[in-house]
Amino acid sequence: MKPRTSASSQGPRGGRDCAWTVLCTLTLLGLLAALPAEAQEAATEPAYRAFPLIGSRLAVWAVAQLHLNFAAFILGVPIFAVIIEIVGWRTGEGRYDWLSHELVKLTFAAFSTTALLGALLLFLFVGYYPRFWTYMTSIFFPTYWIYALLFFAETFTVYLWYYGWDWLAGPRKWIHVGLGVLSNLFGTAILVVANSWVTFMISPAGITESGALKGSVWAAINNFTWMPINIHRLIANIVFGGTIAAAYAAFRFLAAKTDEERARYDWMGYIGNFVALSAFIVLPFAGYYLGREIYAFNQTMGITMMGGFMSWLWIIQAILIGILFLGSNYYLWLGMERIPGSERYRKYVPPMLIVLTLGFMIWATPRSLVVTLDEARAMGGTHHPVLGVLGVMSAKNTVVNLMILTTFLSYILYRRANKVPTKPWVRTGMAVQWAAFGLAGAVVVFYGVYGYFVESIVRIGFSVYQVVAVLGALVLVMALDIPMFRGARSTGTIRWGTIAPRSQYVLILLAVTFTWLMGLMGFARSGIRQHWHVYGVMRDTSVDAVTPALGYAANVITLVTIAFFALVMFIFWLGGLAEKGTASAHGHAPAPAIAGGRAPDA
Amino acid sequence: MRVPVGVKVGAFAVAIMGSYTYFANSIPQIESRPPQELSLEGGSVTPAQLVKAGEEIYTTKGTCEICHRIGQKGTRAPDLAGIGGRAGKTTPGLSAKGYIIDSLLHPGNHVVEGYPNIMPAVDKPPIALNRSELWALTAFLQSLGGTVDVALADIPATAGAGGVGGAAAAAVTLPGDPKAGQAIFAGKGTCIACHKAGALGASPVGPDLSQIARIQTPEYIMKKILDPAGSGTVAGYPKGVMPPMFGQSLTAKEYVDLVAFLLTLK
Repeated sequence: MKPRTSASSQGPRGGRDCAWTVLCTLTLLGLLAALPAEAQEAATEPAYRAFPLIGSRLAVWAVAQLHLNFAAFILGVPIFAVIIEIVGWRTGEGRYDWLSHELVKLTFAAFSTTALLGALLLFLFVGYYPRFWTYMTSIFFPTYWIYALLFFAETFTVYLWYYGWDWLAGPRKWIHVGLGVLSNLFGTAILVVANSWVTFMISPAGITESGALKGSVWAAINNFTWMPINIHRLIANIVFGGTIAAAYAAFRFLAAKTDEERARYDWMGYIGNFVALSAFIVLPFAGYYLGREIYAFNQTMGITMMGGFMSWLWIIQAILIGILFLGSNYYLWLGMERIPGSERYRKYVPPMLIVLTLGFMIWATPRSLVVTLDEARAMGGTHHPVLGVLGVMSAKNTVVNLMILTTFLSYILYRRANKVPTKPWVRTGMAVQWAAFGLAGAVVVFYGVYGYFVESIVRIGFSVYQVVAVLGALVLVMALDIPMFRGARSTGTIRWGTIAPRSQYVLILLAVTFTWLMGLMGFARSGIRQHWHVYGVMRDTSVDAVTPALGYAANVITLVTIAFFALVMFIFWLGGLAEKGTASAHGHAPAPAIAGGRAPDA
Repeated sequence: MRVPVGVKVGAFAVAIMGSYTYFANSIPQIESRPPQELSLEGGSVTPAQLVKAGEEIYTTKGTCEICHRIGQKGTRAPDLAGIGGRAGKTTPGLSAKGYIIDSLLHPGNHVVEGYPNIMPAVDKPPIALNRSELWALTAFLQSLGGTVDVALADIPATAGAGGVGGAAAAAVTLPGDPKAGQAIFAGKGTCIACHKAGALGASPVGPDLSQIARIQTPEYIMKKILDPAGSGTVAGYPKGVMPPMFGQSLTAKEYVDLVAFLLTLK
């Protein structure tokens, strides 16, 4: 395997990046150290200050969403970057090492922006919501120090990981991989610390009726929604990182001048989408867990979330997730066109498309919604007399599980598109796989229909059986597929770079949709607190205590998402500029060729 | 002319987000507004007014309607049709109003068979009804098949205490002088012309403020003086009577002193 040559050639720019990040970290630490004094001052200060022109809430909202977008990206991408690096290390295929380095480079460029936005968010809280921040500090002060120390550890480990790429190559590669793993552990730890603050606001625990900490801060950290959000965010970050990396590759593919470049970025886009899709399939399960814990914490909050003023939000969410499912599958089907031998599986596409489309339509069917009087009169009630029956959770849970199974089938077909298994137990293996799909589908449909005839408290439990059936099928099919196709006869190599350009727009659609969805879910998470900073403990008495309607929220989400992509493109462009400079100045080695599915140095 | 890839991709991304935004703006736009505080203490309220105020609380601040239905069996909580009539026969030794009040304050004591124990105490956050609101809500529930005989005195004095605002409310301490504030109440402020405050005044024009600090938050009291119309009018009293010019006629010190005095009325 050829050693990488790019990392150490980043030189002065890398030093500036490092200095920026350390400066941000030091500022953050200084601010945290000053907070106790700030907290005392705040007792005599107003509870709120008004941010000029746009108001304090909008300022905090915009900066928080931007910060979360960047943070999700820099925490999500390294998780699969290190896995890809390990794959490259164990298989000896240089293209994986190149890709891993390319991915870390993307996050690296976004690192200091994330830190700056985090510091800005802190300034906004301290300056414009002093009483709220004082209260949060009274509960969580010890965790601030842990957060700052973790930030230091994360910063230095990531820098060492990135700059040590060449230095720790060859026999010392295991140390380098270890650094990657370590940086991910620190990154995840940062995430869970920050999650304790935000989840405490939703489902406070470990405090007295007047809001004072009862005993250890651990009780406040380990509140109802902390662990579900840790899991949900961790998985969602991987999906997000995958879609952004795939969109970056799509952009480079569309702008490519040579076949070699197109092949390389086609492959990168495929890997990004594969990572996103793999994590995306399990994300709804994490969502169920989170929803269940919200209900367990407070039924009123759960019901307000699902059936109150937010009910339309879930229809928009269903539409977005439906688009993600359809887009991911469409990309796989387009990708199969560049794989010799995939013709065998074309016949499966129409039925899969029907399942996905019907699933999409059912999932997006409204039930008990707030409607205008005219709409209610036209329908003869608050829901449609016929289609309204599909708007309940029984139907929705059923179709989302079937959509997950279908997407998994798409992936399985893509995976075996140019392979013919040669193992003697192929017939049995295939039969078991199809039986697993069929059984899981039957269990899902059975409990979906049965759910109409039982009380809601029983029905809620059925979703667990449906999830277990689907996850069981996923595990069993994969466990058979890997050995069955090991050493399979090839029907031809993948023609990387020949995929239809519209597939690249699908990757961009997925990235934009998922980013927008993150903004929407952020609004939902924050909005369920309604007029409370800390639910049931600290009331929002500011002029912004109203939770805005979805239209307003959508406008904000769109503007912030545009700002995020503009910043990302700018940062990537800057990264590209530095790459061009160093490549010419230092005789930078080209990335390995991907066309034909094999790197020249593999 | 060849359109640069960046422009094409950018336009595509904006079109996607634009379509999502358009859809989100096309559906019914519902805001979630913070609930208004209701104060009935000291006011002469008729049972009909009380029931009407209670019904409003039932559907809004009380959030009862999320789980309970009237005349329809709910899956999360019992049907409340006829509750006023049957409440008195449910628990030996408890009158109808006693059962309703105890069910609101300690729901776990009266879980109906077949339903989960999920109802929160309504005088505690996040619902946090005050005594006036509990009084009105009880009257409304009694009116569902029963006779309204609940009085404010039936609501325990501890109900709703310290609930609203939690840490935020507890943190408010004013530097004003209550004694000077009492003088403002009776003198320059002319509050006494309409309100009663303990031994001070006897006018029935506005609500009795003798226990105002126990039933209202400091934020509400401060806002009410400066913006009477924007803070709502106590049920049973005419709207628009309280003058809106105290923000101009009182000095900052007089205003703070007056609020400090009102906060002593418990």
